[in-house]
Amino acid sequence: MELLDLQTILLSGLTLGSMYALMATGLSLVWGTLRVFNFAHGSLMMFGAYLAWTVCHSRGLGWGLSAGIVASLVGLFALGILLYQILVKPFMGRLNLVLIVVITTLAGSIFIDNSSHLIWGPRMKRLPRLIGGEFHLLGTSISAQEALVILLAPAILILLALFLKRSKLGMAIRGVEQNREASLLIGVNVEWIYAFTFGLSASLAAMAGIILGSIRFITPTMGGDPLTRAFIVVILGGLGSLYGTMTAAYIVGLLEATCMLYLGIYGTPPVLFLTMVLVLTFKPTGLFGTE
Amino acid sequence: MPQASPNKGKHLPLLVSLGVLVIFPFVNPSSYMQHLVILAMLYGVLASSWDLSMGYAGIFNFGHMALFALGGYAAGVSSLHFGLSPWLGILFGALASVLGAVLVSLPVLRVKGIYVCLVTFAFGQLCLHLILGQSKYTGGSNGLVMIPPISMGGYAFNQHNNLPYYFLALVLLVCSTYFLRRVVTSHFGVSIVALRDFEDLAVSRGVAVARQRLLTMAGSAVFTGATGAVYAFYLSSVSPELFGFGYLATVLSMILLGGSSTIYGPIMGAFVLTFISEFMISFGPWRFLIIATVIILVFLFYPDGIWAAVKTVGARLGLTPKAEQQ
Repeated sequence: MELLDLQTILLSGLTLGSMYALMATGLSLVWGTLRVFNFAHGSLMMFGAYLAWTVCHSRGLGWGLSAGIVASLVGLFALGILLYQILVKPFMGRLNLVLIVVITTLAGSIFIDNSSHLIWGPRMKRLPRLIGGEFHLLGTSISAQEALVILLAPAILILLALFLKRSKLGMAIRGVEQNREASLLIGVNVEWIYAFTFGLSASLAAMAGIILGSIRFITPTMGGDPLTRAFIVVILGGLGSLYGTMTAAYIVGLLEATCMLYLGIYGTPPVLFLTMVLVLTFKPTGLFGTE
Repeated sequence: MPQASPNKGKHLPLLVSLGVLVIFPFVNPSSYMQHLVILAMLYGVLASSWDLSMGYAGIFNFGHMALFALGGYAAGVSSLHFGLSPWLGILFGALASVLGAVLVSLPVLRVKGIYVCLVTFAFGQLCLHLILGQSKYTGGSNGLVMIPPISMGGYAFNQHNNLPYYFLALVLLVCSTYFLRRVVTSHFGVSIVALRDFEDLAVSRGVAVARQRLLTMAGSAVFTGATGAVYAFYLSSVSPELFGFGYLATVLSMILLGGSSTIYGPIMGAFVLTFISEFMISFGPWRFLIIATVIILVFLFYPDGIWAAVKTVGARLGLTPKAEQQ
């Protein structure tokens, strides 16, 4: 293996892994807490990217990139709560909740995708680079954008882990995750925790969307592929296990980058799928799942 | 169901609907309406076959659209590029679909619940990428086009307002519905429902989980693949969009709108949704906004679907027996 190949794989693998980690962590968090799966997650990611574009781009409001990012994170938090209220909350307590929510969120996803199509049109948009320039590391040059993405995602995920471990709200989330009734008994507002978790997960998706929107183009269908990858990530990592999900995200990212280089764009999905099948065959709960 | 009649009226609504479908093309002057009914019948086969795995067996199979598309692609490629007879194409379509179902069953047998949904969906995406990768044969992202029509002894099926296609679709619908109802009312059908509702008990009574699930998936794929093939010949094209969220949600809502675990319900759902969605075709993206809203509203207010409502009314009129298998 050439040194250059290794470098390409590492760079693009870590970038992809960062994005998948942000996506899949949100899915995993919602699953762990609410025991439902959000199929609209990819659409939330796309919507976040568009929202950031509208606020920051000169053809939109033109308030600059940081305003765009903040608006996107806050807006998607609100949208996440709204989705929870409409698509999940009315069905809580139904017998086949999992299946119902898969379908209602699928419907929600179609709604968001087509709304975006109506609002922003089919033309591709692009966010400005988060940061310009490049710097040198170990004798090679890395664009500052890539370096930022690679560092940003772990930073956000560490903050998330700290939040869940240390803060009162975070502990309440983990409490609901472990035992809903007991949490209710000690006075945790479970409804609010559910809504908050959904919002938080949507904000994480928005962050992934902003990253993807500054690397590639923003289109109404941009969420589809990352969502499929996030599925593979959560299966590999074990749904509900945050650390498992994060680790699996980087494994999938690096694997995908390797396959891209040697097998091309159409050779990659079969390898990822086969990996998933093999892992499921020997460990159905995923690499790090316990349940 | 071959049982002699303790309740003869039971088959009456079915015979009436069949009669209406047989007479329809001769009294209906509009070729557009006929086209819609053909589509609805094909979707009916698709949705009711899906109901076998999704409804009766409770397998969260989200790869069913992929099985349908596999059938279409297998038939299209074999007749367009290899010049095989379309009738063989239909056979290949069914075979490809069954093969796909068996392949996806292997990981599915190991997992439960939401993981099944994710694995089967990932399988669909895998098929999509494999098909896109072979663009020389499959037309890539443009889809496979210019598929020749089905013909018999030099008589092409796309003549006379597609009347031959109409009856082919009707025969397919009747055969598939008969097959599915036979399956779900058989010993096998009871055993998969038992596995869905009381897995531990069923296993302790000697039901083989893996074998029954594998057979269910394969069984639901047979007519799905054949219909995919007829769909491809009828529209003379197959599109990779069949793998997308749009079709997935539409056909899924046919099942749920009609009422899952009934076979007849999804067929009704297919008719209702095909007409609704075709009449809104000029609305552009608004059509999907409306369909998505309808899906959510139906879930909120009619969780059991139209078929349950029809049966309640039917039971009151004394047409259908109350103790129908659920």
